Amino acid sequence: MSEHGNSGTPEEIGCLESIETLYAYLDGEIRDPADIAKIEHHLGHCRSCFSRAELERRLAVRLRAAGSQQAPDSLQERLKDLLRRL
Amino acid sequence: MDALYSVAMRLTRNRADAEDLVAEAVTRAWAALDRLGNLTLFRPWVFRILRNAFISGRRSKAARPVESSYDHVFNDEGSGDVASLLVEESDAFLDWWSNPERRVSNDLLGEQIMAAIDELPGAFRTTVLLVNVDGLTYDEAAEVLGVPCGTVRSRMKRGRTLLQKALWQQARDAGIPDRTGASGVES
Repeated sequence: MSEHGNSGTPEEIGCLESIETLYAYLDGEIRDPADIAKIEHHLGHCRSCFSRAELERRLAVRLRAAGSQQAPDSLQERLKDLLRRL
Repeated sequence: MDALYSVAMRLTRNRADAEDLVAEAVTRAWAALDRLGNLTLFRPWVFRILRNAFISGRRSKAARPVESSYDHVFNDEGSGDVASLLVEESDAFLDWWSNPERRVSNDLLGEQIMAAIDELPGAFRTTVLLVNVDGLTYDEAAEVLGVPCGTVRSRMKRGRTLLQKALWQQARDAGIPDRTGASGVES
C-alpha cells in the first residue's frame, strides 16, 4: 500500500481494519462520510478486500431472497380490527 | 409489518404464536404510544416491545412446547476464534466465490444458504437472520436481542465470517471447485 498524504485523499487503512468495518459498511451502518471514504478507498485498491466485499454483497442479496417472510393477510385483517377497537 | 411478523416467527417458530405475538406487541405499543417522545424511534421501540412480550409470554406459558428456553436465540455465542478464519481464507476462494461466471453463483441457492445459517451458533444465527433476512437495522436487532448495538455489530462480523466459511466447506463437499477449475484451494 502506498502512503496517501494529500488533503482530500482518504486516510489509508489496512486489510484488518477494512475487515473490521466491512459488514457494518455493507449493512449501511457506517454513517460518518470520512469512515465510508476510507473503506471505499481501500476496497478500490485492495483486490482481496474487494473480492470479499463482492462476495458479501451477493450473499446478502441471496439471504434476503431466501428467508424473508410476509405477514399473512389474516394478521393484517386482525390488526386492522384490533386498532379499530382500541 | 412484514419485519415484525418475520421476527415474531423467528422467536416463536410457530405461525399462530407469531400472529398472537405481533397482535400483543401492537396492542402494547398502541397503549404506550404517548410515552414515546421521538417518533423516529418507533421501529426499534416496537421491536423491543415485541421481545418483551415474547419473554413474558414464555414465562407465563412455559408448558407450550415449541421452545423450552430462548437461550439459543439470545445467548449462545458458541466457541472458536474467528480471527483464525480470516487468516485462513485465501484470495483464491474469494475470487472464485465472487466471480459471476462461476457456477457457484447458481449452485449455492437459498436452501443451501439457509442450511449453512442453521449451523451457526444461536446468537450469531439469530443476529444474521434479523439483519440480513428480516431487514432490521443494528439498533432494531439490538432491541430484539436485548444487547448493545456494538454486540450486534461484532456478532454480524463473526456470524457472516462463519457463514462464509461454512458455504466454502459446503461448496468443497459438493465438489464445486473441481467443476469450476478452482481446485486445490486450501481453506
